[in-house]
Amino acid sequence: MENMDNHHHEQPVEDDEIKDWRKKLLWSWVFTIPIALLMLSERIFGFEIIEMPYSIIVILILAFPIVFIFGHNTIKGGIRGLFTFYFNMDSLIALGTIVAYLTGIFSLFELVADYSGVSAMIMAFFTTGKYVEALARGRASQEIRKLLELGAKNARIIRGNKEYKIPISEVNVGDLMIVKPGEKIPTDGIVAKGESAVDESMVTGESLPVDKLKGSNVIGATINQDGILYVRATKVGRDTFLAHIIKLVEETQSEKIPIQKLADKITSIFVPLILGIAILTFVNWWYIGGDLSRAIGVGVAVLVIACPCALGLATPTALMVGSGMGARRGILIRKGEAIQTIKEVKTIVFDKTGTITKGKPEVREIYSKIKENYLLEIAGSLENLSEHPLSRAIVDKAKLKKYRKVTGFRILRGRGVEGRISGKEIIIGNTILMKEQRISTKDVDEKIRSFEEKGYTAIIVSENRKVLGIIGVADSVKEDSISAMFEMKEMGFKTVMITGDNEITARAIAKEVGINEIIANVLPEDKAKKVEELQKSSMVAFVGDGINDAPALKQSNVGIAMGTGTDIAIESGDIVLAKGSLGGVVSAIKLSRATFSKIKQNLFWAFAYNVIAIPLAVAGVLHPVIAEIAMALSSITVVTNANLLRRKEI
Amino acid sequence: MAFPANYQKMKKYKITISGMHCASCASNIERSLKKIPGVKEASVSLMLKKGKVEAEDNVREEELRKAVERTGYKATGVESE
Repeated sequence: MENMDNHHHEQPVEDDEIKDWRKKLLWSWVFTIPIALLMLSERIFGFEIIEMPYSIIVILILAFPIVFIFGHNTIKGGIRGLFTFYFNMDSLIALGTIVAYLTGIFSLFELVADYSGVSAMIMAFFTTGKYVEALARGRASQEIRKLLELGAKNARIIRGNKEYKIPISEVNVGDLMIVKPGEKIPTDGIVAKGESAVDESMVTGESLPVDKLKGSNVIGATINQDGILYVRATKVGRDTFLAHIIKLVEETQSEKIPIQKLADKITSIFVPLILGIAILTFVNWWYIGGDLSRAIGVGVAVLVIACPCALGLATPTALMVGSGMGARRGILIRKGEAIQTIKEVKTIVFDKTGTITKGKPEVREIYSKIKENYLLEIAGSLENLSEHPLSRAIVDKAKLKKYRKVTGFRILRGRGVEGRISGKEIIIGNTILMKEQRISTKDVDEKIRSFEEKGYTAIIVSENRKVLGIIGVADSVKEDSISAMFEMKEMGFKTVMITGDNEITARAIAKEVGINEIIANVLPEDKAKKVEELQKSSMVAFVGDGINDAPALKQSNVGIAMGTGTDIAIESGDIVLAKGSLGGVVSAIKLSRATFSKIKQNLFWAFAYNVIAIPLAVAGVLHPVIAEIAMALSSITVVTNANLLRRKEI
Repeated sequence: MAFPANYQKMKKYKITISGMHCASCASNIERSLKKIPGVKEASVSLMLKKGKVEAEDNVREEELRKAVERTGYKATGVESE
């Protein structure tokens, strides 16, 4: 029942906020425009519509609702902040507008000049600025909102030969769902019947439809194209692929990026600092300048020009747009920090199997000194007991109807397998294993070499310590590995492939893909250590499937985990790719770079704004209303600039 | 035995916050949350209107809610993970 929990709390908040600001904004201007006309009447029309001092009274009456009714929340929050010492920017606006408003009352006794109209204008512009900012912030999160809306609302399920349409929240694991052409697949599942192509672009970024048949995994929220699929639900609610993506994206948002630290520190002391500056400015202008009215005007300008918002919004908005863009393309930035770190990375290490290659090795060539059938029979029987991908390749090739009985079976990690069949000692594995066991490979060494030069992994089959033959297994390279590798080289990265294969095989594959360096003969558990060694000379990114290379992903400066179909390696990896192709790595790097440079730009503007604007206000150059407009524009600029990130080609 | 005597299990909370509209709001709430004894980490996102808190087991949800409200905002939901 708690399934669809992603849907209700997020979205309305933003919309309500926008609606709220819009309402306040409209009413504020309804009252502000007459005030402006009154204040400027002499300059515009050459006469006063209402004579002084009655005009001040009218302005005070008109300004009251703007400041104290439409601006009620701001005033309340601000005053409260002043008393509890949790200052926020409302405190500045509240103080500025109240002081300005009070001058109107005092001016009736000719104590100071009247700024009451100004108080209304400040509040009106403040409200307008907040409204525009809320709109822009809403735009910044549009990709993530789209993700939230992506989930199917209903499912058609079969219960007891009957078809029912039920809300998605009532689907249970194990339910059989029917998905018609053009419909969304309600939740993650496995195809029980039917064949179709499915558009998965919305969650993996894969642009071509993916063929699905009996036994295929399907992802909820993807769209069935042309056939009817019967899907058995395997994951619902929080456990689905989509729910995981949303969770990842949300987590990124609450991450802090190192570059943001200074801005955050300034933000946290910003308001008290400005209050101090405003008071000093006021005292200074009054004491030295001797003009109380002018001192009030300048003080108010300082209060309202300063805004921590631009500083505070600079990073999160850009990160929001960037991570949202990524999510739509199957690039999930899990650690916000990664987008900063990746800039320093010089070396990218790729795991071979499943990353550069498809991870589905096949037997390519067999050299047998005896009957090939017999070789495959004993190899197939023995390897059938192992789950290693190379073993699977041999089992698939042998396609045995009946397996021979194996006794004393043992897996020799990273080297091979051994066991007994009909009393004969069978050892199957790489050359290291043969050497270890002192089995001579002299007469087949040349054959082994020729296999390796083709990029095959040579698996030697021996019986009673005599070599029977060699099986050449190779894993084909993923379609886009070569072009992705080329691009990464162009970008100036040193590319390294890490593999358990031996030197010659590894080199052949590296050459095919276009990789600079190889680290061969590495046992899975040693990958992290190799990464650590490379880190001595530069920052290292590691790209792997996240299943058996989690330690290496963690050890690297930026771990990029590749998803495999319906599972995303959530716990490992700073960046997670939903689609298992190296093209995603290139996109992830580009996206990180673009996002980070946007953040830098934003921070620069935000700092520059405050550094220039505050002294100008202190100097008394800026009218308070102009100061308020500048403030509103500064945060709008930052958020809008973040939205411009979307124009980048990723 | 492996744990020191004052070892406390850490718990993670997700707080939904309404009423925030500026960056200093977020940093105020963070500051207020961190003041609660037992709260180790607090990070508030203005964009998501959510706060993430890591705290010792004995910190009550009510305290978190109060800490948010002390700064003038509303905690509309507290979930523990």
